[in-house]
Amino acid sequence: MAPLAIRRATKSFGGFEVLHGIDIDIEDGEFVVLVGPSGCGKSTLLRLIAGLEDITTGEILIDDKEVSRLHPKDRDIAMVFQSYALYPHMSVAENMGFSLRMRDVKPPERDRKVQAAAEILGLTPLLDRYPRQLSGGQRQRVAMGRAIVRDPKVFLFDEPLSNLDAKLRVQMRAEIRVLHKKLKTTIVYVTHDQIEAMTMADKIVVLRDGHVEQIGSPLELYDTPANAFVGGFIGSPAMNMLNGRIGEGGRSFVTDNGAELPLAAPPRIEPGRATIMGLRPEDIEIDEAGFPAQVQLIEPTGADIHVNLEVSGDVLTAVFHERLGLSEGQSVRLSIPVDKVHFFDPDSGDRIVG
Amino acid sequence: MTVADSPKRRQRETYLIFIALCIFTFINLMPLIWAVLTSLKDPRDAFTIPPTIIFEPTLEYHRQVWFENDFFRYLKNSLIVSAGTVFISVPFGCLAAYALSRIPRRSAGPILSALFTIRMFPHMLLAIPFFVMGTFLNLIDSYVLLILALVAINQPFTIWLMHGFFLEIPRDLDEAAAIDGCTSWQAFRIVILPLARPGMTVAALFSLLLSYNEFLFALVLTGTDTKTLPVAIASFGGEDISAWSLSAAGAIGIMLPIVIVMLVLQRHLVRGLTAGAVKG
Repeated sequence: MAPLAIRRATKSFGGFEVLHGIDIDIEDGEFVVLVGPSGCGKSTLLRLIAGLEDITTGEILIDDKEVSRLHPKDRDIAMVFQSYALYPHMSVAENMGFSLRMRDVKPPERDRKVQAAAEILGLTPLLDRYPRQLSGGQRQRVAMGRAIVRDPKVFLFDEPLSNLDAKLRVQMRAEIRVLHKKLKTTIVYVTHDQIEAMTMADKIVVLRDGHVEQIGSPLELYDTPANAFVGGFIGSPAMNMLNGRIGEGGRSFVTDNGAELPLAAPPRIEPGRATIMGLRPEDIEIDEAGFPAQVQLIEPTGADIHVNLEVSGDVLTAVFHERLGLSEGQSVRLSIPVDKVHFFDPDSGDRIVG
Repeated sequence: MTVADSPKRRQRETYLIFIALCIFTFINLMPLIWAVLTSLKDPRDAFTIPPTIIFEPTLEYHRQVWFENDFFRYLKNSLIVSAGTVFISVPFGCLAAYALSRIPRRSAGPILSALFTIRMFPHMLLAIPFFVMGTFLNLIDSYVLLILALVAINQPFTIWLMHGFFLEIPRDLDEAAAIDGCTSWQAFRIVILPLARPGMTVAALFSLLLSYNEFLFALVLTGTDTKTLPVAIASFGGEDISAWSLSAAGAIGIMLPIVIVMLVLQRHLVRGLTAGAVKG
């Protein structure tokens, strides 16, 4: 258990910079998820922390100690790889005990720790098997066992669930969460799946193109995205983005396609200013007094209904929990609660406090 | 084709393939069969046309090869040279191949191409420089010179072969080992090398075959003290027809150790040759 800090970290491959001055502070015992689209640099950042890539400039501190020039073995970290990276020629017990063996832990002590870790993860009956004799979920568990057996300062997870099927993924998600509660070790977890990020993290770091877009708790990111990218990335289905400007007196939002969407209360933005309006699908309401829209597509998911609604050329996705009995082609009227609307600057993408 | 006759048809195909393989094997074994028969015949019988099928077999020439012609001495020389070649070639080849498999492809590519070029070079052209170097270093007729020369010509093959094996071992394993507390050397030795064992078996066998059978370098670089079996056997023959039985017996003798090694390692060899063909 230890705090982790990344200061002005940059990474270049050849002359090409992929991380541009990353600053992140992670508290002791915190579960931090690095999330972003592929190519955003999240895995590279994790590999910098692990020491599998050399940092170009900046520093990494684990437990307030500068480690950025240390070999991975000297950083006291453990990592779970996407491919699990189990040693094929070693049994489960040998895989899990390997790091202890390399650190000259005596066999009885080693066995005790492996047993304890196996107990936690339900691997006890599998200790004599080889990786090739295990299912995907079991391999995943062994990879975690290998990480926890040593009680490192920081756990690193590199998309550990992406090779599992959907059901197992949900189950392992919960297990990792429970494991974290039990071990209270600092975790840095990389994923491209924003749902994983939302459900697991104490703190989410959203990355794009080698920049940190926003750092915050899952609900902070959801409720007050710092920019249009974060707004669009966090939440499913994705936030609706409408280009337009604030209408006269701030009473409405006029889309570039000419639709006038009334706002219940004027936002604190000067009328006429071009903005992007971000609107969560679940915040759209059916309202007889609202603006007109046409149902384009209905996708029932069981619990919810996703509806694509056309508003003069723009398509909004809405999620309704009630079974409204809508049909495709039908005309409806919608309203938007003003406190749920996000406004972003169309040039910078930044949030406009409104 | 109906469903009913398909097993029959398949059986017939199997027979045809079997017969074809028998013929193919027979053609390949012909020289060997001829050598075995010749080694058992009196030289007079060996050269009658048409060849005699019925003759009085004799082990006289085998006896002569093994006990009157210093066969054991040459065998010892051959084994020393072969073992030396294998024990230098395989470890160094593995180190080089591992490094090449872990550096960026654009850096490894030219080195691998250069190695390939060395491999394509006619050995005859290399024998002379080796002879000159050997003379200069006063190493002619020493095991060291022949072993070094054989390692040099064998190394490209070993490196190429092992490179392929190491490429198939995921890099994640190196990295997992590093995080688990291994230095690069420990990761190689404890994690990577055991996984490359089938490849190493194949590399060792090919090095063994090459160095054990090698004739040209052995002829040029050895002398009375270090003469290896192939060179010795060749000198049994010459133009004297009566020595052909002796040569044939020598050829059988030279084969025996290799056949024994092959029989022992057959299982590993086949596995090594097919390893990586399918994802395991």
